[in-house]
Amino acid sequence: MKKILIADDERDIVETLAFMLRAKGFECICAYDGEEGLNLAKNENPDLVILDVMMPKINGYKICRLLKFDNKYKNIPIIMITARSQDEDKMIGEETGADEYITKPFEFSEVLEKINKYLA
Amino acid sequence: MTKVFLLLNLEDNQNKEIVNLLEQNQFELAFAQGNIEENILQINNFLPDLILIDNKIEHCEFTLRQIKTSLKHLNIQTILLKDSDKALDFIALADGLIELPLKIDTFLFTINSHIKTKNNLDRLYENNKELSRSLYQLNVLYNTSSQFAGTLNTNKLYDIMLEAMEKTLSFDVSAVLVFNSDFKPVFSLNSLYTPTENLVDALKIRSVLNYKTIFESAPLLVQQDFENIETIQKIKQTRSNKVFGLESISFDSLFAPIKVGDDFFGVIELFRQKPFSSEDVTCFQAITHQVALPLRSAKLYEEISVANKKLEKLEKIKSEFVSIVSHELRTPLTPINNSLEIILNGQAGEITEDTRNFISMTKRNILRLSGIIEDLLDLSRIQTGKLDLKYKLSDITSSLELMQKTFEQVANEKEIKFSLLIDEKLPEVYIDSRRIEQIFTNLISNSLKFTSANGEISLGAKVIDDFEIDETKLISPIDKPNGKYIQVTVKDTGVGIKKEDIPKIFDKFSQIESTLNRNKGGVGLGLTITKQLIDSHLGLIFVDSEEKVGSEFNVLIPISDDVKTFTMDLLRSLTNNDDVGLIKINHKKDLNLIEDLKNNKMLNLSRLSKEIVIEKEDIVEYCAFIPHITLASYEAMVGLIDNYSKQINANENDIIISSLHSAKNGKDAVELVKKLGLTRG
Repeated sequence: MKKILIADDERDIVETLAFMLRAKGFECICAYDGEEGLNLAKNENPDLVILDVMMPKINGYKICRLLKFDNKYKNIPIIMITARSQDEDKMIGEETGADEYITKPFEFSEVLEKINKYLA
Repeated sequence: MTKVFLLLNLEDNQNKEIVNLLEQNQFELAFAQGNIEENILQINNFLPDLILIDNKIEHCEFTLRQIKTSLKHLNIQTILLKDSDKALDFIALADGLIELPLKIDTFLFTINSHIKTKNNLDRLYENNKELSRSLYQLNVLYNTSSQFAGTLNTNKLYDIMLEAMEKTLSFDVSAVLVFNSDFKPVFSLNSLYTPTENLVDALKIRSVLNYKTIFESAPLLVQQDFENIETIQKIKQTRSNKVFGLESISFDSLFAPIKVGDDFFGVIELFRQKPFSSEDVTCFQAITHQVALPLRSAKLYEEISVANKKLEKLEKIKSEFVSIVSHELRTPLTPINNSLEIILNGQAGEITEDTRNFISMTKRNILRLSGIIEDLLDLSRIQTGKLDLKYKLSDITSSLELMQKTFEQVANEKEIKFSLLIDEKLPEVYIDSRRIEQIFTNLISNSLKFTSANGEISLGAKVIDDFEIDETKLISPIDKPNGKYIQVTVKDTGVGIKKEDIPKIFDKFSQIESTLNRNKGGVGLGLTITKQLIDSHLGLIFVDSEEKVGSEFNVLIPISDDVKTFTMDLLRSLTNNDDVGLIKINHKKDLNLIEDLKNNKMLNLSRLSKEIVIEKEDIVEYCAFIPHITLASYEAMVGLIDNYSKQINANENDIIISSLHSAKNGKDAVELVKKLGLTRG
């Protein structure tokens, strides 16, 4: 079973997404802030990571950068969830090396399509 | 009475006779006493019109010389007495000569004519002095008027006024009471010596009274609270022990209101110990008149800039508000959407057909809501200049085919015939495909909305030249048509638009005003965004429509084969700024040229934030200036440079992009460039 890490401070988003992914046969682990997300990514060997951009403690771009610049983790596919908000606009230039981007609000089919690209 | 100073030997009979003659003719006389220095002092005190000097006195020549040199400015006429048979080599030192023995008629005549000369000289001297003073005042006035014209700063204008007055009128004390833009009174006192506290208060009261006098018959513009007047003091000679007390008020004074027409700015009063001349009065009035006009301009300018700033701030707050609200709305939509999907898929348990229908309806409306939020966000981004467009050389045909795929089924469901017609191979153009697709989506969705069953919608594209475009039909174009365009046409057999309504449909929220279309849904942002996106592509749009027959929307996307021109145009549109410069230069050393250009502001590049240079080996081919660079601008550059390198057949290593700008900005730029993989070699 493929393991997917979902990190977003919006619990409702994480839970509905995890529910749907489990129904599709994935194992899901959930994180509700950046720090927790980074720890789980490093210790739980996920096959794919879904990261929200605006998260408390460590933002999604930073986690992405930390993982992508580390030889041990750089091969884990990363999907960023962005709200394209003003706060995110200010982070222009920070985005690094994520494999896919999804804009809120998203359709589940869209997420699934992108995941299957890497895990099918 | 004419005064004569005598340097005579009073023992001499002839000299005695002269004294007698002068006394008889009512001259005021003074006699030399003591040595030469004492004589000079005597003359300085007595200020004679004439000096008679006998050659027989001791040191006559030396005395004459001394008088001539040290008393030159007094125009005193010197007359030398000498015996007719005696030759003297210094007679040229004197202004006149009287020979002895004395001839009474000749003597008196000579004396009188020299007195006349002296009077004339005095007058000339006085006139000259006045003339040079007037000339000086005129000069100052002239300079002042050009200084006045050069500023819109109120405080500076008052400073220039006072400086001019000080130069021309050298006043001892000036008291100015003026009002700044928010009608707060400011009292400023310029004084040669330190004024006593009493004087300051007295002048303040006097200024307020002056101010009130002017408005004797009319109601006061501003009721002044004497205590609350801000006071500014400037003292010229701070080191001097001298002070100006209340007696200064009794100095000669000049007073004037500073006003032009009904615009009243304040009052000014000058005090000077030495009385003011009529020329001084003229000069004073000239300056107060002169300052009033630029003060009015300054006031208007201030009002306008304040209003402008307020508007700008409001606009910004509005856009930010829209952006924040839209973002906040978006986040909860995600779990709602997810939950609905879970229910619809039966993952949360079996559902009835009715439940499915209602949940589907909810889901459809959630989609619609997201669309509206997306539109609002786009609009706010466009207005704040934050819309990132990623231009790439792309084929518009594939975008049009995607449209067909997306809309064919919806059209079929509504029993509308949907067709795509492209007869020719279209050239590649610099576009942001996603945004171009957004343009077409908006237009096609509108057509679908307003076309009923059995209608037709067709999508077509062809290449046209600028001369084929009817300029009068274009909807507020940002530029004149120039060169070749790809014309994409969305044609329907829908309800059509009234001719007079066509320009209005691109206005924000235009649907809200038009009740006819109200029931068709949407807030009417689509076409506003469409127009803005077309503008960002340097494109054009025109509409042909007939009521009850149908509408035809034509979008024109420019075809650019010249990289340089396109870069220029693109950078201009990207930065929304005409300060973009693209200079073709031949050698690296010519980079100095950029500095020069910046310095003399030929290109008005002073607000540059970043520069990109495209180099080939040692040769810098193009230098692009990008103020306020965004990620999109950089990405646009990637495309351009790729294309450019193909054109000049360069090796990958031949082209680098470097940032020339100041350390900090430069570093940022280089980092960005690296991230985007722009640096090669």
